[in-house]
Amino acid sequence: MIRTRLAPSAGSESERTVHIIQGEYHVTGDPSVMLTTLLGSCVAACLRDPYAGVGGMNHFLLPGRDTRARRLEAESYGVHLMELLVNGLLREGARRDRLEAKLFGGGRTMEGLADIGAMNADFAERFLANEGITCVGGSLRGDQGRRVQYWPVSGRARQSYLAADKFAPPQSLTRPAIPAGGGTVELF
Amino acid sequence: MPFASALRVLIVDDQLTSRLLIRGGLQELGVSDIEMAADGEEGLKAMMSKPAHLVISDFNMPKLDGIGFLKAVRAHEPTRKAAFILLTGRGDKALIERAAKYGVNNYLAKPFTIPALKAQIEAVVGRLK
Repeated sequence: MIRTRLAPSAGSESERTVHIIQGEYHVTGDPSVMLTTLLGSCVAACLRDPYAGVGGMNHFLLPGRDTRARRLEAESYGVHLMELLVNGLLREGARRDRLEAKLFGGGRTMEGLADIGAMNADFAERFLANEGITCVGGSLRGDQGRRVQYWPVSGRARQSYLAADKFAPPQSLTRPAIPAGGGTVELF
Repeated sequence: MPFASALRVLIVDDQLTSRLLIRGGLQELGVSDIEMAADGEEGLKAMMSKPAHLVISDFNMPKLDGIGFLKAVRAHEPTRKAAFILLTGRGDKALIERAAKYGVNNYLAKPFTIPALKAQIEAVVGRLK
């Protein structure tokens, strides 16, 4: 089930925070809404139409892709979530040819396993290229989890890297700890 | 010759990624005669110039949506007998019921699996292999 929920604001009094978890998307034209999510190997696509003043975010993880059939099925899930986001924006007055995107996530948060994060990132970039949607920013791949905040009407985005314990791998796959409170980057 | 290789399929979807994905799924099932169109208008032109045995069409499309395209396919003698599968979101019962009124043969819920794609096609055209 795809849905989003509102949470008390962590920012200014008039700002509303919407948390997006895996499998969800949210579209809004409300400038007081900030969308936020936590990402490991998942990817969040942040899309907006700057002229219509609407934007949104989704959050997806493509499951394992050991065979061509499995890859197609995994991508079907990703395409579906991207389509829900795009169609949601179009319903709110956006135009496909004006959409711009920022992509986040796709980190390699567990060593020793297939780089699922990179595959998610590759898929997201390929989707934008196929659909003619310009990617204007973001942060993909790497080896850390991220917290992303996105203001869908202005297009402003902020990312902070997460400490390793936020995405702790199984004991047998433990890797050197990343210093807590990784840097915050204001992207735009 | 396996039936899959004799089957001519038209995929109609406004998202290139979706079209490529369905084409990949059909190729996995042994179908090779595949044409693609980006909306209902383009799909109708393709059907008029070279009718397909099976149409797999999205609903949400600019210019002519999936239902409009289905109605047009059913209205033209050379294409009216083509099998038609509509791509829908999960739980989109109202859309499926509407499409049934206009002669849709089956639907495929998104996101789909290869076995689901195979089952929905075979329910309409018979066994592929």
